[in-house]
Order: sequence, then C-alpha cells, then structure tokens
Amino acid sequence: MAPVEISGLSKRFSGVLAVNDLSFEIEAGRVTGFLGPNGAGKSTTLRALLGLIRPTAGTATFGGRRYEELERPSTQVGAVLEDASFHPGRTARNHLRVLAATGDHAFERVDAVLADVGLSDAADRRVGGYSMGMKQRLGIAAALLGDPEVLILDEPTNGLDPPGIAWMRGLVREQAERGRAVLISSHLLAEVAQSVDDVVVISHGELRARGTLEDVLGGDEGLVTVVRAQDDDRLARALQDAGHPVQRSGDGLLVPGVSPEEVGVVAGDAGVYLVGLAPQVRSLEQAFFALTGDKG
Amino acid sequence: MTSLLRAELLKLRTTRTFAALVAAALVLSLLVVVLTGLLSDDWTEENTRGLFAADFTGLFIMLLGIIGMAGEWRHRTITGTFLAAPNRVRLLAAKGLSYAVAGVVLSLIVTVTIMVVGTVILASRGIDTLSLATLLDVLWRNLLVSALVGALGVGVGALLRNQVVAIIGVLLIGFVVDPALFALVPEVAAYSPTGGAPGGIIGIDAFGDTDTDTLLAPGVAVLVMFGWIAAFFAAAGARLRGGDLV
Ligand SMILES: Nc1ncnc2c1ncn2[C@@H]1O[C@H](COP(=O)(O)OP(=O)(O)O)[C@@H](O)[C@H]1O
Ligand SMILES: [Mg+2]
Repeated sequence: MAPVEISGLSKRFSGVLAVNDLSFEIEAGRVTGFLGPNGAGKSTTLRALLGLIRPTAGTATFGGRRYEELERPSTQVGAVLEDASFHPGRTARNHLRVLAATGDHAFERVDAVLADVGLSDAADRRVGGYSMGMKQRLGIAAALLGDPEVLILDEPTNGLDPPGIAWMRGLVREQAERGRAVLISSHLLAEVAQSVDDVVVISHGELRARGTLEDVLGGDEGLVTVVRAQDDDRLARALQDAGHPVQRSGDGLLVPGVSPEEVGVVAGDAGVYLVGLAPQVRSLEQAFFALTGDKG
Repeated sequence: MTSLLRAELLKLRTTRTFAALVAAALVLSLLVVVLTGLLSDDWTEENTRGLFAADFTGLFIMLLGIIGMAGEWRHRTITGTFLAAPNRVRLLAAKGLSYAVAGVVLSLIVTVTIMVVGTVILASRGIDTLSLATLLDVLWRNLLVSALVGALGVGVGALLRNQVVAIIGVLLIGFVVDPALFALVPEVAAYSPTGGAPGGIIGIDAFGDTDTDTLLAPGVAVLVMFGWIAAFFAAAGARLRGGDLV
C-alpha cells in the first residue's frame, strides 16, 4: 500500500472546483514534486490529505488510512503547510514542547530537531521576532519531531534565502535516502527540480502528468545536462570517449540525452573536477509550461 | 487524552497573557479583600463569607478560555493544532478540561491567599473570623465556579472563533446584561452562565446579596452550568466536525 494515495479526489469551495478527480500515489524513498501554477489546487489537495478540509469526493490516505485514523500521527506524517503559523508570544522551544506533549515524544527530541534545523541558538526567543526563514525552519522542526515516515512540504522554499533553499534540498534528499516518502509542492519548478525524483503536475485542479522527472519534463530528446568542469576540454574528450554527444556553450558543455548522474560518473572516472552540473532547467521549465498551459 | 491535557496546560502556561491575567486576578481579589477588610464595619457571618467569595479567578479563567480557543484562529495556529491532534472533538474536550483544571488551581491559589490575608486583617481588628469548616465551604464553591466557567470560556471561544467578539460579548453580558436582568426579571437572570448560575453556586447575587431568594440552589445552579457548557460544546463541536479549517 502506497505511503500516500490520492484517489478520485475533488474539492469544491462554494462555486470554485479547486481539485477535480485527482489521483496519484507517492513512493517511499523518493521525493515527489507536486507541481502546478498558483491556484492549481496543490494546497487544497494537501489540506484534504491532512484532514483539514473535507473532500467533496474521493479519498486521500496514508497506507490506506485517513489522517484522522492514524495513531500518533506525528510518528507517521510530518507536514509543513504553506501558511504555517505560530503563537507569536511563545518561544520555539515551548512551541515544540507542546507538540512533543501532544505526540508523546520525549522533550529531548525537541533539542534534537532544533539542532537539526539550526535553531538551537534562537530556541528561547519568541517566535514573533522570527524571520520568514526561521519560521519555515521551525515548521520543519515540528514536522520532524516524530521522525515520520512521510514528509509533506507545501511550498517550502517560500521565504527561504538561497542558502536556506540549498539546506532544504539537502534535508529533503536525506529524508528520502532514509527511506521516507517526501511530497513537496511548488509553483516554481526550478526550485525543486534538483531535488525531486518523481513529479505530479496539476493545473486547474486536474492531473496533467505524472512520472519521473525525466519522463515527464525531460523526455529522451528533451533532457540536456549542463556541465562545467575545471578543464572543459578534458571532460569533453572523456564524454565523447564514453559515446556521448557534446556541444560547447558559452559557459560550459551541453550533453543532450544524458542525465547529470551519468555525466558525473564519466567525470569521476576521468578524474575531472566539476564546477557545475545540472539538468538544463530551461528545457524542463518549457515542458512544464507546455503541460500547465502557462505562458511563463 | 492525558497527552492532550498536558499539551494544553503547557500551551496555557507558555504565553505572557496567562501570567498577566493570573496576576490581575490575584491583585484584584487581594485589593477587594484588603480594602473591604480594613474599611467595612458591618461584619455578619454572611458578609465575611461574601468577602472570601471575592475570588476573581472565574472572570479571568473565562477570558483565558476564550483567548486560548479563539486565539487558535486569531493566530492561525488551529491547523497546526489539528495536525497534531486530528480528532477535533477530542481536542475540544481536552481544551475544556484543561481550562477547568487551570481554573481550579488558580482559584485555589487566589482563594487561599485572600482567606489568609482577610483572616489576618479581621483578626487584627478583633472581628470574628470564619470557622475552618465555613472557609472550606466557601473554597470548594469558588473552585467549582472557576472550573465551570473556564470550560465555558473554551466552548464560547470555539463556537464564536472571533476572540474580540467573544470577549466583548461576555463582558457585556456579565457586567451590563446580567445586572439589568437581575433588576428586571431576577427569575430569568438566575440562569445566566456569567452571573446568576455561578452566583447560585456561591450563594451571592449580582448585587452582593447573600440572603436573596432569587438565586438557584447550588445543586441546580451546577446543573444549569453543565447545561450551558454542554450546549456550547455541542454547537462548537458540530461546527468543527463538518467544516473545513483554512
Ligand atoms: N477556502 C477556500 N475558499 C474558496 N476558494 C478556495 C479556498 N481555498 C482555495 N480556494 C481556491 O481553490 C483554488 C486552488 O487553490 P490552492 O489549492 O490554494 O492552489 P495552489 O496551492 O496550487 O496555489 C484557487 O482557485 C483558490 O482560489
Ligand atoms: Mg498553495
């Protein structure tokens, strides 16, 4: 049974059909990007999954059980919603202690998750004085408190600075490597493209595509890896020797039809130091816009 | 349920509002007892009882209950609260219970304090003090009222969800509507959850009279309070159970 399963989910708010007959699953040990433009219905889907709003039709379950049916939900699901809010007068430590009491977690877990998200030094300050990024980190600390099997993050990069976004990517990857199922929503493909394995694309409340990132947004011919090395010439030769086509571009090499992982392996085997390695985001973005019908 | 209770009591203790309102309850109660104790010259046993019933915890725990529940909407922490405790009805019950517990504890502190201070003042003036049995009788009534109105505050907050409306509404009813009703239709006023019914439990009406025959008997007054609490919780529970939280 899938860690998260959405099946025929619809939600109508007085007149607005926010989610329309949506179905998808996510897998353990993988990061699934839940993508779609603003207003596509991502937050509505996640809120229905978490039992906060009542679906008009369909089901949304964790291992076959609705959120309300989970025993000690904090050990099974950790979630950070888009507009996660805290009592401004309470300190971060006390906020987490309340949650630890609710979920029967030892107070030592509070110190542990505070350290995990880098808030140990600010733990005894009132949350009202926190920056957006610090609140985002506190939300994540709360989600991690019960070391849950499933992690759900709604637009987690909102309010984070570039180092914060990089930190978030690392955290999400680490959770997946530990076998957790991670569902991460975003309206900005570029902010999650580097950290997701699978994608679910929705628009106007309806499913547009689902599958691995490459299958959905790259396609065989569409996938292009952009790579820069300390010695581009050596890397180009190594790639050609490995049978990969290489094109020069202004600030590096383009390798069509080859994934960043494969390019990295070739570079490693050849002993070439890489300076940059990424799927060509623009082509992903174009595919994304084509799917969602947005002009970009 | 015990985890939820612990969590709610921790929540209550970790804001500045709590400290401020507890201090206000203690200061106000002490002020009334000290001033009355020093200045009044009319000391029947009934009046002395009335002095020690001047425990303002009830008012403040009711406000805390409203703030604690409606504040979850005001600060938009309600979604986080229900993520941690998805059974909405159970959470509501735990919150009501924890404010009842808090009411008992605070009322115990305030009442014992004013009893000690008041007894010392009266004794120093050579005025008869109350027997221990009578003091205990006053004490349990104070505790019971604080427990009941603490829970009621949570029910009011959960039903109205708007902190300002709920607080102003309760203050208006308690300080304007209740006294007016007592003056006009005391038989109706005796059932009010913010005046008559708690007054019936303590045995004092809105004007401080103890020998009034308009008050409900204590046992009936407790049942009336339970009725009010049940009504607010049932309505709030129904509103919570079916609805979307956004
Ligand atoms: N509580 C609500 N009441 C009415 N309409 C809503 C509500 N929540 C969301 N919507 C509408 O549902 C649609 C989907 O919103 P949302 O799920 O927030 O999208 P996303 O998270 O993908 O940006 C939007 O048209 C939005 O205006
Ligand atoms: Mg959203």
